[in-house]
Amino acid sequence: MAAPDLMEALVTTRSDVDRACELLVSPSPGSLDRCSRVLEAAVHRLAESQPQPGAPKAVLGEAYRLRAAVRRAASLLEGANGFHLNWSRLRDAMTGGYTGRGDPAPVPRGSRISIRG
Amino acid sequence: MSNLLSMLLNSATTLDTYGRVLETSQNNVANASTPGYAKQSMDLYALPFDPYSGTTGGVRAGQLVSSRDEYAEQAVRAQSGLLGQQQQMVTSLTSVQTVFDISGDTGIPKALNDLFQSFSAWSTTPNSQTTSQTVIQRATEVAQSFAQSANALDSQAHDTEQQIRQNVDQVNQLVGQLQSYNKLAMAGNKGDPGLDAQVHTTLENLSALVDFTSTTQPDGTVTVVLNGSQLLLAADKQYKIGFALTRSDTPPPTYPNSPATAQIIAPDGTDITSETTGGQLGALLNVRNTVLASYIGDATHPGDLNSMAKQFADRVNQILTSGTTSNGQAGVALFTYDKTNDTAVASSLAVDSSVTPDQLVAADPGPPAVSNGIPLALSQLATPLQDADKIDGVSYTQFYGGLASRVGSQLNDSTNAQDVQQSLLAQAKDLRQQVSGVSLDEEAAILIEFQRAYQANSKFITVLDQLTQTTIDMIT
Repeated sequence: MAAPDLMEALVTTRSDVDRACELLVSPSPGSLDRCSRVLEAAVHRLAESQPQPGAPKAVLGEAYRLRAAVRRAASLLEGANGFHLNWSRLRDAMTGGYTGRGDPAPVPRGSRISIRG
Repeated sequence: MSNLLSMLLNSATTLDTYGRVLETSQNNVANASTPGYAKQSMDLYALPFDPYSGTTGGVRAGQLVSSRDEYAEQAVRAQSGLLGQQQQMVTSLTSVQTVFDISGDTGIPKALNDLFQSFSAWSTTPNSQTTSQTVIQRATEVAQSFAQSANALDSQAHDTEQQIRQNVDQVNQLVGQLQSYNKLAMAGNKGDPGLDAQVHTTLENLSALVDFTSTTQPDGTVTVVLNGSQLLLAADKQYKIGFALTRSDTPPPTYPNSPATAQIIAPDGTDITSETTGGQLGALLNVRNTVLASYIGDATHPGDLNSMAKQFADRVNQILTSGTTSNGQAGVALFTYDKTNDTAVASSLAVDSSVTPDQLVAADPGPPAVSNGIPLALSQLATPLQDADKIDGVSYTQFYGGLASRVGSQLNDSTNAQDVQQSLLAQAKDLRQQVSGVSLDEEAAILIEFQRAYQANSKFITVLDQLTQTTIDMIT
């Protein structure tokens, strides 16, 4: 990919990742859904636009900023996951009690069939 | 008649219950912006209802329930501690970075560059008094640059110590506040939402300063433990921490005259510095005992700035003293420093004031003898080829660049981490708000719902009252 195109792709990808970060700061189920779509698109674009080591300084700088944005998104995802996992454990403990080891007991969940016509 | 009276009584209880719900909601609305306040709700219980057995039903107010989620609180405190740590690192490292100019326009790099140029000029005119005088002048500038850098780092070490002392005082003050809240809880105010809000706000403020864990006891008091081991507060007893500058004797220090190490001391006198890793205090200790010590030295190493100053001065002196004049007079050493203290070389580095230009010997006796061999050997220090002219395998300029880039790299990492932490703290606060924050929309809905129920019940009581009065009139 030519340097100007690569630069544009990196800037667009970073803007996508930044948008995902904004959604992740308030990780309601709705914003998490939207965030996963935004991140998926960013990952696709990232796979197509990997700068080579000899790329211009500006491109490498943008790649560095993108990497920082991805790290921020990863940390925010971990934070959101930890919070929702805690709620899930709390709900399991309230509905299924505890195992002998003190963990929330597994709650049997019925299978569901979804038919779309 | 008895049924009418019990219905009247029941309606009065219901009215009282609705009144309590409305009071709870009103209190939530009033405290919507109170720091640390967690939304309260009133549990309602349906009373047994069976007209045949005479139980008239109704509703009863249960416990006041706080929506505070300790997991969310803990998450906010953890992120607040990490943000406090990174913010402090950025502030402190930004100050340290100003000491290291890598542009080459000022400080040690410029002084070294000028000295190397003066060596080259001396090699072209080895017998010139003017060029020899310039060498002395440039060497003086190098010594002054080292001393200025060392003094600037030393001054930052003192500033950092002062900040550590202030942080320790703040920690003790905040834990003291928690101690007073514990006393209130023990005096029977357990469950007071206002007190609960103050406790959690104080814990959040404390989390920015230091790593700790807190647990709420059955009597409503909080226990605070520093990084999982040192008790800071239990019930109404506070354990104050202290600050000290000390040199440990075990193991015996390699550099006994080195700058002392900053320590956090438990009430029983034990060193708990290693347990104080998070928050602003953890960052300050890291900057003082690790970052700055790597430049100015501590009990185990002399510090890179001192090592560089010593090695450079020794090498220049060694080359200068290896020269001899035609009448056999040896060259003289140029640099002096405190030989009794390896951790004070940079700050004590100076040019021997008794040295005159004619004492700088340019001739290398060899064999083979070279008339400008000494300045040539000295100018080799700029781009060294032999190991003796290098420090840690690189030139002095490169070594200094390494010192500067080390702090630059740490600052860059901390700045990035600070950005991430700001987002993570915002996320944790948002999640906590979702769980225990007051939603004005939700409270408005509750107010409307219970206001209507209250009105309906009031109307019901009025009708019952009229019915009762009519019945009494009929009887009498």
